[in-house]
Amino acid sequence: MTLERARKLAEALDSRTDRELTELRLDPPHKVLSQIRAYLLRRSEEMKTRNNLIQLLSIHRAGEFAQIDLGPSIDKGATPQHFHFDSGARLSFGLTLREVGRGSQVVSFRYHYTFPDGRPTQFLRFDLNDGPHADPLAEPRSHLHPGIDAMRLPFSVHNPIEILDRIFFVLERTTLGSR
Amino acid sequence: MPEFSTQPLFDIARRLEIRGETGWLAVLAPVTDSTTNLDRLQTELQSILQKPARVIELEPSTFEELREALHQPDDDAVILSSGTGLTQEKWRSLDIMRSALERKGPVILWLATGDVANLTEHAPYIRSFIGASIFLAGPDGGIMTEAERQERLNELSQHFGFTGDEAVRKAQARELPHEPELVEWLVLLGRGDLL
Repeated sequence: MTLERARKLAEALDSRTDRELTELRLDPPHKVLSQIRAYLLRRSEEMKTRNNLIQLLSIHRAGEFAQIDLGPSIDKGATPQHFHFDSGARLSFGLTLREVGRGSQVVSFRYHYTFPDGRPTQFLRFDLNDGPHADPLAEPRSHLHPGIDAMRLPFSVHNPIEILDRIFFVLERTTLGSR
Repeated sequence: MPEFSTQPLFDIARRLEIRGETGWLAVLAPVTDSTTNLDRLQTELQSILQKPARVIELEPSTFEELREALHQPDDDAVILSSGTGLTQEKWRSLDIMRSALERKGPVILWLATGDVANLTEHAPYIRSFIGASIFLAGPDGGIMTEAERQERLNELSQHFGFTGDEAVRKAQARELPHEPELVEWLVLLGRGDLL
C-alpha cells in the first residue's frame, strides 16, 4: 500500500459519491423543508427542551437553487437560533438543493452537532462539498469532521433526513446516556 | 362574514394531528396563489400526518364519484376543493349526501371566500361538522427574511475575510474551494449559476 494507491482509492470513492448523488432525487425544496420541519417537530415532542421550529428553520429560493438553514452558517458558540438538545448539545445545518424537474438534487450540506461543554470531542460535522477536492484522500467530497476542522473522514451519501436520524438516534442518545 | 383566525398551513396540519387525525375543518383559500397554497397544504398534511393526502375537486364530481373517492381509501387525508366557489345548489346537494361524506380520515374543505356564507346557509349539516374550525390560510413560516439573509451574508464575509463581490469574482475565476458554506454564500447572493 502506497500513498499513490490510497489516493487512487480515494478518487474512486469520490466517483462513487458523484454517481450516488446523481441518483439521489428528493422532493421539490418546499416539500423537503416541510419534511424536515415535521421531522424536527416529531423529535422535539420527545424532548424536554423547547425549540421554536417555525422561527429556527428557514428557506431562501434563488432561481433553481434553494437554501434550507437552521442556526448560524458558522458555529461560533451557542445562539438562540440553534436547535438545542436535552443533553446540552446543539445543532445547526445548511442544505443546498437544486430543483430538477419535479424534484431536487442535493448540491451540498453541512450538519454541525456540538457536544455539551466538557466532552473530549467538541463537535462532529457532516459535510458534503459541491465538487471534488484536488486531494480526495485529505478531503473526500462527503466527509465527517471528528471534532477537528482540518481532519476529514469519508462519510457515505445520505438523504438529509437520514443524517438527522444519526444525529438524533445515535449522537444525541449516546451523549445523553453518557452524562 | 365573521372574522376567522389566520393560521400557517403547517399549524393547520398540526391541529388535525393533535385532534387525532379525524374530523373536519375548513380553510379559506387566499385570494392570490390559491393553487400554490393548496399544493402547500397537501404537502404539510403529508409531512405532519405521515399519510397520503389527496385533493378532490367538488364541482365536477358526481355524488357517486365523490362517495367512492372518499371511501377508497377512507383513512387518508382528503382536501375537498371548492375551486372558485360552489353554487347554492351544489352546497344543498352536498348537504343532502352528508352521511356519505363521513369517513375515518380527516377532511379539509378548501373554500373560496364566498363559500362560507353559502355553506352556512345551504349546507347547515356540513357546517356543523366543521364547527368553529374555519381558518384563513396564512403565510407559511420559514421564508428567510431579507434581514436574515443580510445577517448570514455578513457572517460569511466576516468568517472568510472577503466580501460577497470578491466571493463572486473568485467563483468566476474558479478559485473558490468546494465547501458547503461557500455554496450557501453564492446561493444567498443569487449566484447559484456559478456553482
